[in-house]
Amino acid sequence: MHNLVLLAAEGPNNPILPATNEIIWGTLAFLVLVVLMSKLAYPSVKSAMDARTEHIRTAIDDADRTRSEAQTVLVDYQRQVADAKGEAARIIEEARQTADNLRRDLTARAEAEAAELRQRNAEQIGAERQRVLAELQGQVATLAIELAEKVVGGSLDQQRSLQLIEDYINTVGTNGAAAPAGAGTETAGAPGSTSSRAAGADPTGGAQA
Amino acid sequence: MTSPLSFLLALEFPPIENIVEWPAFLFEGTPFAFNKIALGYIFATVATLALFMIAGRRRALVPRGVQNVAEASVDFIQKGIIEQAIGHGGNPFAPFLTAMFFFVFFNNILEVVPGWQMPGNARMAMPMMLGLLITVLFIVVGVRSQGLGGYLKNSLFPPGLPKALYFLVTPIEFISTFLVRPFSLMVRLFANMLAGHILLITFAVLAAALWVASWQAIFLPLPFVMLVGLTGFEIMVAFLQAYIITILAAVFIGGALHPEH
Repeated sequence: MHNLVLLAAEGPNNPILPATNEIIWGTLAFLVLVVLMSKLAYPSVKSAMDARTEHIRTAIDDADRTRSEAQTVLVDYQRQVADAKGEAARIIEEARQTADNLRRDLTARAEAEAAELRQRNAEQIGAERQRVLAELQGQVATLAIELAEKVVGGSLDQQRSLQLIEDYINTVGTNGAAAPAGAGTETAGAPGSTSSRAAGADPTGGAQA
Repeated sequence: MTSPLSFLLALEFPPIENIVEWPAFLFEGTPFAFNKIALGYIFATVATLALFMIAGRRRALVPRGVQNVAEASVDFIQKGIIEQAIGHGGNPFAPFLTAMFFFVFFNNILEVVPGWQMPGNARMAMPMMLGLLITVLFIVVGVRSQGLGGYLKNSLFPPGLPKALYFLVTPIEFISTFLVRPFSLMVRLFANMLAGHILLITFAVLAAALWVASWQAIFLPLPFVMLVGLTGFEIMVAFLQAYIITILAAVFIGGALHPEH
């Protein structure tokens, strides 16, 4: 302690008092440092750091934007795929319906044609049958008269006998398909040719029925 | 017995002036006498500038080495000191605070650099100048941001006190703000570095004295272990004192800039 008091009292060489030369050099060095740091060194480091911050922020922004763009594209793409799927399903459904319609149409038309054909056939056959019957009737009548004339030997009143025959045939006709056979048995004495010819015409009528 | 080299390397325990006072080797006898302390100041200036110039020129996207050190310290001073202690409007002081931090740190760390072993701040010159400079700076900042009357009113008459108390408070505030602040700034830095310097010298000289071919040599490990431990401790002190003077400067500037806090 005594030494410290002595030191403090020593004057210019006192170790706890500042030395002029050190004040001058220290102040000079520090002021130069502050000026150069403010003007030169600090701004260059700071600007590099700011540039990096900016760079990173830009990069992050870019990445964000790219990601959101990709998201949009993806959503768009997914929507397109869904649309395409829907469209495909619709087209298939439509095609199936068209095919169904077509099939139904064709079937209907074929059925209609078949029915028409059958109808026409039936009509044709009916007409043919009528014609054949009428023809047959005429021939039978004529044959019958001729036959009767031969049997009786005399001449029957042509008009009257025709009337008789007509009546008979009509009676047979109303008895349906069995008539010719019936006629055959009833006219037992009559020539078999008539009966066989009537029976020959009959199968068509039978098929018709 | 004592050679100049052993003095320069602080191997001997010299008289008290001799461990902190260094003879000039340039401009001797003038006010610009240039000695080891002045060379340390120049070193601190050049080292700080070199660190930042190299870092500023590299500009790598991923900083390494010197660039990493400079950028980390800029970030630390920006976020750990300026944003905490000054807040809004503190950015213009960043270069000054950064320069002061590194200037003080490099001056301090010379304390443990082998062959140099002399902290510039164990001399009163630089701590005193820094304390005064910081005081002038925060007064100027306060006057510029609040006006002379506003600054004096805010710093000497804290609001919300009974009028009678100002007879007591105002002198205390004056002494604490304008006298104790610079004094505590300079004494804290100076005394810490001088004490560390003396401690290191004490154990170094003790260890050197026990480096003898006699039975006393068995005690050699004790001062040597202390010396190693204290060297590590002084590295921490060198950083801590630089940090403390920087954050106190920021706190004082912040107080002058934002009196409402």
